[in-house]
Amino acid sequence: MRKVLVLNASDNIAVCLVDLEIGEHIEQDGLNLNIQNRIPRGHKVASRGITKGDGIIKYGERMGHATSDIKVGEHVHTHNVLGDRLSTEQVK
Amino acid sequence: MSSASNSLKGFARSDGRWGLRNHVLILPLHSALCATARKIADESNGAVAVSHDWSGEADADFERIIKTISGFAANPNNFATIFITIGTPNELMIIELAKKLGLNKYEVLNVAQLGSMGKIADVGLTLANSLVKEAAAVDRVSAPWSAIALGQECGGSDALSGITANPALGVASDRLVELGSASVLGETTEILGAEHLLAARAITPEIGAQIVEAVARYERSINYEGIDMRGAQPSRGNIEGGLTTLEEKSLGAAKKAGSAQFSGVLDYADQVPKSGLYFMDTPGHDIEQLTGFAAAGINIVVFTTGRGTPTGSAIVPTIKVATNTTMALAIPDLIDLNAGTIADGLKTLDEVGGELFDLILEVANGKETRAEAGLHHEFSLSRMYNTVIR
Repeated sequence: MRKVLVLNASDNIAVCLVDLEIGEHIEQDGLNLNIQNRIPRGHKVASRGITKGDGIIKYGERMGHATSDIKVGEHVHTHNVLGDRLSTEQVK
Repeated sequence: MSSASNSLKGFARSDGRWGLRNHVLILPLHSALCATARKIADESNGAVAVSHDWSGEADADFERIIKTISGFAANPNNFATIFITIGTPNELMIIELAKKLGLNKYEVLNVAQLGSMGKIADVGLTLANSLVKEAAAVDRVSAPWSAIALGQECGGSDALSGITANPALGVASDRLVELGSASVLGETTEILGAEHLLAARAITPEIGAQIVEAVARYERSINYEGIDMRGAQPSRGNIEGGLTTLEEKSLGAAKKAGSAQFSGVLDYADQVPKSGLYFMDTPGHDIEQLTGFAAAGINIVVFTTGRGTPTGSAIVPTIKVATNTTMALAIPDLIDLNAGTIADGLKTLDEVGGELFDLILEVANGKETRAEAGLHHEFSLSRMYNTVIR
């Protein structure tokens, strides 16, 4: 069974289908991931290196942007991503 | 194709619409009458009742409120509606409006005329029991696919919603729309970030622009209030489930609508046309959306959930589809179908979509949903403004 799911070829994240542990190695569907954090099932892992400010791409669509650099295999969530819309970030 | 094809049976209504249930609804037209309505329904042999907090006030939400209550009464799943009213003009307007929307059989119990609450309860119970008996004697007859008006809803979303249950609903919805049913996507809040994808599927550029504008209107109102939505959307539960941004939640939520073209945009509780896929401008609030769907004449709902979401409608069967197997196994009495099997690698999206299509048909033909068995009869009025007349 797959441990992660790539939803679209242009995505820079994959969805975890099981809880992933630090140090776990995943070779699947052309991916080569060294898991950097504990990542719960359903959460996202970076399948490509992402630079601060880059779009986060899921389902082939932009779902927000990175607020810091994100390494391959790192957990991608609210600590390093913000939505582009309905955000008061710009008025701060 | 499904073995259940062309086996749809429903209750023909005089205005050409179809009921998939044959309910007797006890409908209080004033908040002060809710307890009596509930008492009648509870003591009856199967009538249902809803409660609400409207007391006849004619404020800025008046039109939205009477449209919702009258549409709910006129829903084709109602064999009959017993209105209970204090008798004020604003309450009576609801009955007149319901008639225009295709209200089936009805009775009015007027407190001013009957003179006592005890009498209302006694007369109401006798009436309810005789109507329930009458309703039970009516047989289902063969119905066209346009008899189905499906509402699409998601609540308690998790990161699997957009991968399992929502696209499975999309598969079922596409098949129904192709056969001639109506199907409705709602929750304006939860298409923000995906509206460009939906607009591109509109049958005309004008309809596409209406989808975009519905979201823009919502976004402007939030920005005007200076609210940072990132505290509420995605919710804390959504974030725990792995959803990071509202756009991500929306991209997953929009999968419910499959890949069919959008034939139009409806305002909250607008009557649904017979066939085609529509977008309805509704709140993201689960019960306000479900109530608006019922008021629009939607007669069956598929509700995808990552957390179980124990809710339903007194008159519209609501099929719960689990997004993940863990929850489906943990709360089995809330879930009608587990789409988590897709993420488990046990079934394909098309297989689960086909199972859901078959289940929609079975439920349309009378199979009881978990929400119906659990008597989940929530009802909530959607308001845009503060109540100014107190």
